[in-house]
Amino acid sequence: MRSLAARRWCSLGVFALLAAVILALYAILSFSIHPTSFASGWTLWGLILALAAYNVRKRLTFLPLGSSSRWLQVHIYGGLLSFVLFIVHAEFRVPNGPFELSLTLLYFIVFFSGLGGLAISRAIPARLTTRGEEVLFERIPKFTKRIRDDVENIVLGCISETQTTAIPEFYVEHLKHFFDGPKHFWQHLFQSSRPRNDLLAEIRSHERFLNKNERAAVQRIVDLICAKDDLDHQYALQWTLKVWLFAHIPFTYALVIFSVFHLVLVHAFAGGAE
Amino acid sequence: MSQGRSIIPRPKRWDVPFSDEMTDDVVERILSVAPFNKIDRKKFRGPITLEGIIQNDARLVSCQEGDIIIREGDWGNSAFFILSGTVRVELMASGKFLPPEKLGRPVTKRKSFFRAIAQLWSNRKEPEFRDLSQPALSGEVGSRGSGDRTRIYLQDIPRLLDKYKTVALEAGELFGEIAALGRMPRTATVFAEGEATLVEFRWQGLREIFRKDASMRTHIETKFRNNALEGILRNEPSFANTAEEDMQQLLDQAEFNTFATYDLSKQYRDLARGGTEGQLTEEPLVAEEGDHPNGVTLICSGLARLSQRYHNGHRTLGYLLPGQMYGFSEIEEGWKTKKPVPLSMSLRAIGYLTTVTVPTQLVERLVLEKGVAGKSPQTPPLDVAAAAKTVTKIGSDIIEFAVDNSLVQGTATMIIDLDRCTRCDDCVRACSNAHDNNPRFLRHGPIHGQYMIANACMHCADPVCMIECPTGAISRDLAGGQVVISDQTCVGCTRCADNCPYDAIRMVEVRDGVGNLIRDENGRLPIQQATKCDLCVEQRIGPACQNACPHDALYRVNMTDLNSLGSVFNR
Repeated sequence: MRSLAARRWCSLGVFALLAAVILALYAILSFSIHPTSFASGWTLWGLILALAAYNVRKRLTFLPLGSSSRWLQVHIYGGLLSFVLFIVHAEFRVPNGPFELSLTLLYFIVFFSGLGGLAISRAIPARLTTRGEEVLFERIPKFTKRIRDDVENIVLGCISETQTTAIPEFYVEHLKHFFDGPKHFWQHLFQSSRPRNDLLAEIRSHERFLNKNERAAVQRIVDLICAKDDLDHQYALQWTLKVWLFAHIPFTYALVIFSVFHLVLVHAFAGGAE
Repeated sequence: MSQGRSIIPRPKRWDVPFSDEMTDDVVERILSVAPFNKIDRKKFRGPITLEGIIQNDARLVSCQEGDIIIREGDWGNSAFFILSGTVRVELMASGKFLPPEKLGRPVTKRKSFFRAIAQLWSNRKEPEFRDLSQPALSGEVGSRGSGDRTRIYLQDIPRLLDKYKTVALEAGELFGEIAALGRMPRTATVFAEGEATLVEFRWQGLREIFRKDASMRTHIETKFRNNALEGILRNEPSFANTAEEDMQQLLDQAEFNTFATYDLSKQYRDLARGGTEGQLTEEPLVAEEGDHPNGVTLICSGLARLSQRYHNGHRTLGYLLPGQMYGFSEIEEGWKTKKPVPLSMSLRAIGYLTTVTVPTQLVERLVLEKGVAGKSPQTPPLDVAAAAKTVTKIGSDIIEFAVDNSLVQGTATMIIDLDRCTRCDDCVRACSNAHDNNPRFLRHGPIHGQYMIANACMHCADPVCMIECPTGAISRDLAGGQVVISDQTCVGCTRCADNCPYDAIRMVEVRDGVGNLIRDENGRLPIQQATKCDLCVEQRIGPACQNACPHDALYRVNMTDLNSLGSVFNR
């Protein structure tokens, strides 16, 4: 099995070579009287279709079409190459017409969402193993509810056992909101543990008002706060891992449709250009 | 909190007998025939009496013409004694074997290209659809009985006897004991020629008789040397080309040993809870580091741990599986340098282990001397030192995790690198697509560092799930060796799911074409069947899960091959 580093260097080498060929061809052909935009445009369109075909490949899991990881490698480096082709096709300038501008905008959304997705896919998985248990995304709401029920049972138990309302009041005021659903999304995304520390500090400062039994109950609540915070961490990161595709894929379809219109328009008015 | 205490009688060995049908009369009848009437009952002192063994560790099996008793290649943990009637053993040496369909074995067919595409629209919406209107077995075999008493039978016995070479076993003979005691696959198919009554011994009872009665022990050892040992030695490349006269010496002098307790699956879990050091102290020592090797040890069945002393504990450096050998490097080095070389690692039995030891002087004379002289070209045996180097590269902690959890049994263990896995579930979707919209694994399981061993069938080298399947519905695929379950012959007895130590087999309620549960005609209870990963044996692409992973995070790894393991952990 080839190492991942070796594969990366090999793919980067091929990408650099193809990019150099494209730029060299552009430089050579720009001296001729024939415009290069038809050749670069059709190549770019073919490449975009090939890149979009990856989503179709993902659905045809039972056909011998090559492994998904190989397709992804082609998708990544093909995507980078499309950027070189796009710049060449646009002749290193910002398009001026509203349609071309929309097309450019769409392309950049697709390209940068893909690049962002790649960065997310490489950076986040390793962080998921650093805190809490590995948990399936679909089960997070169920576990969240279970934790909330456990906390509420402890709080209600406090009323019947200690006949005081210190913990229930504290729960309603400071904790209920936290246990209601996923919280502190951005803090988890940027690895901040401040909300958790704030919450725990608040509990510690409140402990001096509690008797021995209530302190024992609070300790159990603290454990559940940590468990819920770990779940929130999993939720924030796993949600981010999934959600970027909701930008990348629909905008890809929009880009394909717009580019078809672009082709039709370009060819309809091609006589003038000649 | 309740202060009440649960008081129960202390559990005893025979609380659950093998059968409830063994009355005193039946026991006396068995004890009155040879060889049981020759066993000295006085040797069975204490609570484990000979009568007790037969009453609790044996059961009567009535066979009709053609009933298949054991099949070549299946795993089993019992032996059979013929009380009356005749059974036939298929002679494998004849070169003409009973075809798999005749034995009720599932024959998996790979999907054509068009059938593969058709899965796009033909996959069912309702879960666990089964078309049970198809005949359960090919026309050449039938089935009778129900549940775990289901028996499949061959038809047209006279024609089969003409066509295939068999040998008859008559009343008073014992068969199946080598596979039962050695935890090896059955080496031949045995079926009833006419009506026959057999006594089936579970291995625990057989082991007691084997230990306490010299005549039975001699009988089994002789049979082992005559029938199985030569096959084991010939399978080992170092002894494969041994001349006939030398082979006889090997057969006479090789020692057959069993270590640890033979218990099914769950024991691995109990052992794993004790941690590595806890496990090490529990594991019987086969050979100790620092001792001089008294021979080369061949692993016949089970799993062995290789460890080395490290400060005040022991560090696991590797493991050995059936077909691998231990002690050869030291003997070879000693032979070359003419100085005795001590064993560099200890060998311990994990769970259950059977070994054959070939004495040092025979190894030197038959393998080393002849190999050097070039008279008999030898394939080099497993190099334990090289294996240990690979293990060091992978990381001793990972190896210990795999050995302690018995994950090294897997020939296609699903390992997920959590540092690369984006939790996209493409693997689960691909698995579901390949199995009529029913995923056959859970992306969940034990984690060590960044690696998760997902809850998917590992296709074990020693598949304990196959022991006790009454119909042979769970078996190895003849072409690829994958462990597969036939929907057509699974009777839902749950034995395989109970025996799997990794909970990789699930029992599901099956449905018809409109989504209704299929129920049995008598009790109206839903029909259950066992399901698990079949490594996409019917698909054209191999394991769909691995093929669908975009991030190179999921691998099916042959844990029995250290190099394959190393290539995943050292990417």
